[in-house]
Formats: sequence, structure tokens, C-alpha cells
Amino acid sequence: MALGRANLRRRLVIEQSTLASTGAIAFVTPAAARSPAVVLRGLTKSFPRQRGWRAMFSGKARESVRALTDVSCEVRAGEFFGLLGENGAGKTTLFKILATLVTPDAGSAVVGGHDVLKAPSRVRELLAPVIADERSLHWRLSGRENMRLFAALHGLRGAQATRRIEELLALVNLVDAADRLVSGYSSGMKQRLLVARTLLARPSVLLLDEPTRSLDPISARSFRQFLRQDVALAQGCTVLLATHNAEEAFELCDRVGVLHRGRLVATGATPELAREVGEDRFAIWIRPADQAAIDTLAARGVMREVKVAEADADGWSRVECDLRGGLDGAAEAIAFLSLRGVSVARSEPVKLSLADLLERVLARHTDA
Amino acid sequence: MHKAWALVRSNWLAATSYKLSFLFSFGSLILSVVPIFFISGALQKTMADVIKGQGDQYFAFLVLGLIALNVVSAAVSALPSGLQTATSTGTLEALLATPTSIASLLAGLSGYEVLLSLLRGLVMLVAAGLLGAHVAWPRIGASIPIVVLVVLAHLPIAIVAAAMVLAFRTRGPLPQLVMLASTFLGGVYYPTTVIPGWIESISAFLPLTYGLKALRAVLLEGRSLTAVWRDVSILIGFTVVTLAASAVAFRAALGYARRVGNLAQY
Repeated sequence: MALGRANLRRRLVIEQSTLASTGAIAFVTPAAARSPAVVLRGLTKSFPRQRGWRAMFSGKARESVRALTDVSCEVRAGEFFGLLGENGAGKTTLFKILATLVTPDAGSAVVGGHDVLKAPSRVRELLAPVIADERSLHWRLSGRENMRLFAALHGLRGAQATRRIEELLALVNLVDAADRLVSGYSSGMKQRLLVARTLLARPSVLLLDEPTRSLDPISARSFRQFLRQDVALAQGCTVLLATHNAEEAFELCDRVGVLHRGRLVATGATPELAREVGEDRFAIWIRPADQAAIDTLAARGVMREVKVAEADADGWSRVECDLRGGLDGAAEAIAFLSLRGVSVARSEPVKLSLADLLERVLARHTDA
Repeated sequence: MHKAWALVRSNWLAATSYKLSFLFSFGSLILSVVPIFFISGALQKTMADVIKGQGDQYFAFLVLGLIALNVVSAAVSALPSGLQTATSTGTLEALLATPTSIASLLAGLSGYEVLLSLLRGLVMLVAAGLLGAHVAWPRIGASIPIVVLVVLAHLPIAIVAAAMVLAFRTRGPLPQLVMLASTFLGGVYYPTTVIPGWIESISAFLPLTYGLKALRAVLLEGRSLTAVWRDVSILIGFTVVTLAASAVAFRAALGYARRVGNLAQY
């Protein structure tokens, strides 16, 4: 464990040097040294703030709100990269810059070797944003006609276009519904059609902005499997995924970056990041909920951030806490509780919510 | 061209997915010719002297004026309204993210409405012909370049309005001003020669004035294209100058929208 931590710290130092300008915490360097598909260097963007009537006529300079500050990062070819952050963190702005829909104020964004400002049309040939907003489909056209339109816009014609459309409709399992108007599709079908539409031109980089936000949990899970297996692996795309959902990021992504108020505060390989910030969080079921014992453990520094739930009908209470030293700490806590005559039924690591993850990453960022 | 046509086709498919509405729009168009026939018949004696040299029948004069006005209305409003619709329905962002040139996108977003207005014009002209309008049918082919020029001459106004939509989410006053002036001073209901005083000089700055004069000369008087070269030249000059200026305005608006981030917001 200690050795693992030392390694992580060493790797942290290595990647921090590459991200020095951002001050972002990097947890590990990726193992594979593939060529970068997306390179961001000092990307900065502000938007003018909406003015009231009085300010509009007062002649005052328009205030602006910073959306991205000095974001630097590399995403390697074939990588599934998650972008985590709360609302307004800058994820969508970053995607819009990459999709050439918004111009940055400073810094550069390069996709497949092409700068988004200098060669936007080349970037649009390589990169495709999956605009998860269902409204971006033509609802009064059938699924097939939506595909036909975008095939034409991507320069596909005739038999080549027809073949690609049928291939993708089959991939997203929409062949039977292809001639129905999109207005009659379910949310899941629309999401799959959006992805199929985006894959028409065989993009090498895909941008997915909260692709499962309007899906129920079961559809979301099957959609995530589809993204991982049929899109990222089968099509060989580099995927950038913006999400509010930490579980989604951990399930899908090779690496994640955490954006906070426009700053990239951490990047790292997903399992390591999850372990680094979440490995100490445990849930323990005890009976009775001996508050004095818990207080003692807290005073000794074994337990932190303790939350004791009300006992259930059988008298078992769920205690959620950070345990110093992870599993070692759990063993110490269990032994102590047992000595005090407290029964311990179960102890297991707790999966972090996005809020918890952000809180922890930010705490580390502040410490760093 | 292929990309613009794909957009036009998709707009056609979307419009015809509302089948009854589409059919009714053509039915009401044909019916609208009937009151024009009776009113213009009642005004024939009054207007006969005034419209000399632009066809001798006020019914045909008026129908052609209204058809041209409808085409101009589509040419001026199709692009900004297409852009507004694409913004509010959320399709604009997806379209802009494809490797499609801005010119193709603009042509595609406005093409269907303009082509539909031409088709509606043809239907209206045939209906008027059936009611006895004196139209030089063999000259239909010669009228096509004039109609195209009328559309092109009004395109810069549409492009400026589209630029306003892109940057500020409003078409601005220009399309309304042009339509208002064209309706009353462009020679739709009466020749511009009867407009009194200094107001008549405004009609000299309206492309519709020259377009309608040329169209009536060809379709109602049966003259050739060479006979209306002066009006056609003015339309070409107007198109070249204003199109270049509007392209600059649109490029500036696009850059502004990309800078402030409202390209696909509604």
C-alpha cells in the first residue's frame, strides 16, 4: 500500500510538471504513450455577462464571466477521456471550442494536428460532437432521412452513403424504426440516432456531452455499454465524455479530468483517481451504535467525516466514514469496536458521488 | 450545391409531412386569385391609361405584381427565419458542426422557401391564365433569369437580417422596411410613375421596381430579354454591390457570435 502511494506520488510529480501552468493535480501518467488526438494549451475563454437595461444605456463596459482558465491537457488517440465537473464548470464551453462553435480568447486547441482557429474545416472533418440535445434532430423527418441529410452534409453520396447509413442504423439497432418519424422515437432511440448520425463521417474524435442525461437507469447502462464496445472500441474513436455522473465516468473512461470553475484541477487514470480520492471511504454496519466508541476512534484520527444513520428494526446502524489507511484503518476500527462489545456485520468501500469526488479533489487541489 | 440541395430536400420532406396543411396552402392560393380577378376587373377602366406599356389588362398587371411581391417576401425572410427556426429547434449547432460551407448552409436553409414561393407563383399565374389573364406564355423561359435576379438582388437584405439574427437574435428593421417600401413603392399595385413627388425617387432604390418592369415587359408585353437590358443591368449591379457588402456583414456577425458564444443559443 505504502509503495503504491509512493509510486502514485512520484507519477503525480511527473505529470504535474507537464500541467504546471494550470496548477492541476494529475494522479498518474497514462501507461500508453500514444500520439495525442487532442491537445489543449492554456485555453482561456470569457463570455460577456448579460446586462440590464440601465447598464445597457449607461455606456459602462460589459462585465465578463470566465468560463475557462488556462486549461492544458492532452487526450491520446483511442482514449476514452471523461470530463467531470459541476454545472457551469466549463465542460460545454470546452467542447464548443473543440467543435469550432466558440473561439477561445487565449491558448490553443489542436485536434488531430489541426488548430481549431487556423483550420476549423479540417477539425470539423475529424471531430464530431454528439449534441445530446434531442432537439438537434429533425423531428419531422424519419430516422433514415435524418441520416441521409447528414450523410450529404458530410460529403457522402450515392451507394456509399446508403451503405454507411444502413450499417450505422444496424449498429444502433434502429433498422426497424428507420422509416418512422423521429417525433415518435423514445429518448433512448433518439440518443442512439444522434450517435449514429455523428458516426457517419467516421470521425476520429467524438465529443459526448452528457449523453445519458435523459435516459432511465437501465437504458443509460445499455447505452454506456454501446458507447464503450461499439463506438470506442469497434470504431476506434477517441472519445471525450462530459458528465455529471461519476459512476458513468468511472465505468467508461480510461482517464478523467476534473474541471472546477473553468480550471482543470485534476487529471488522472480513472481507477487510480477513484482509489486516490475515494479509497478511504467506508460503510460499516454496527450494533449497537456506540457513540462513545465512534468518538474515541475519531479522536484517535482513525475515523473522519463520520455519518451515523438511524438503527434499523434489528438495531443495525450504518456508519459511513473516512478510515485512515483504507483497509488497514478498517481492520483497526473493527478490532476496536469488537473489543468494546460492538457487533460489526459488514464493512465495504463506498462509491463516491460526483459531489464527494469534486469535494475531495478540490480539497487536495487547495492543499497542493 | 449537393449539400444545399440536401437541406432543401429535408425542408421539403418536413413541410410535406404535414400533408393537409400543405394541400390547403395551395388550395387557398388558387382561391385567392378569384377576388383579385373581380376587383381588378372593376378597376380596369380607371387603371387602363396608367398601366399602358406594362400590359393592357389590370388583372394580369396586379397578379404579376403580387407574385413578384411574394417571391421577394420569401427571398427577404426565408434565410433569417430559417436561421431562427434552426436555432430554436436546436438543429443549427449540429449543422454548423459539419464540414459544410456557410454559403451552402445559407442556401440550404433558405432554398426551400424561395423555391416554394416560385412554385406558388407559377400556380397563381396558371390560375390567373385560366381566368383570362393576358400572359405571353412563350416568354416564360425568358422571365426565369429576371426572377432569379429579383431573388438574388434581395438576398443581401436577407443575409444582413440573418447576420442580425446570428449576432443579436433579431432580424432588425431592414427586411420590414424593404418589404413596406416594395409593397407600396415597388410598382406592385400601380406603376411607380403615378407615385407623387419626391416619394417616387425612393422607388428608384428598390430592386423590385426594376424587376417588375422587366417582368411585365417580358410576360405581359411579350418583349425579349434584350429589350429590358437596362432594368436587368441595374438588378445585376445592385446584386453584385450589396451581396459583397452583406457577405462582409455576415462574416463579422459569425465571428461575433463565435466570440460571445451565442451561435447556437436561443
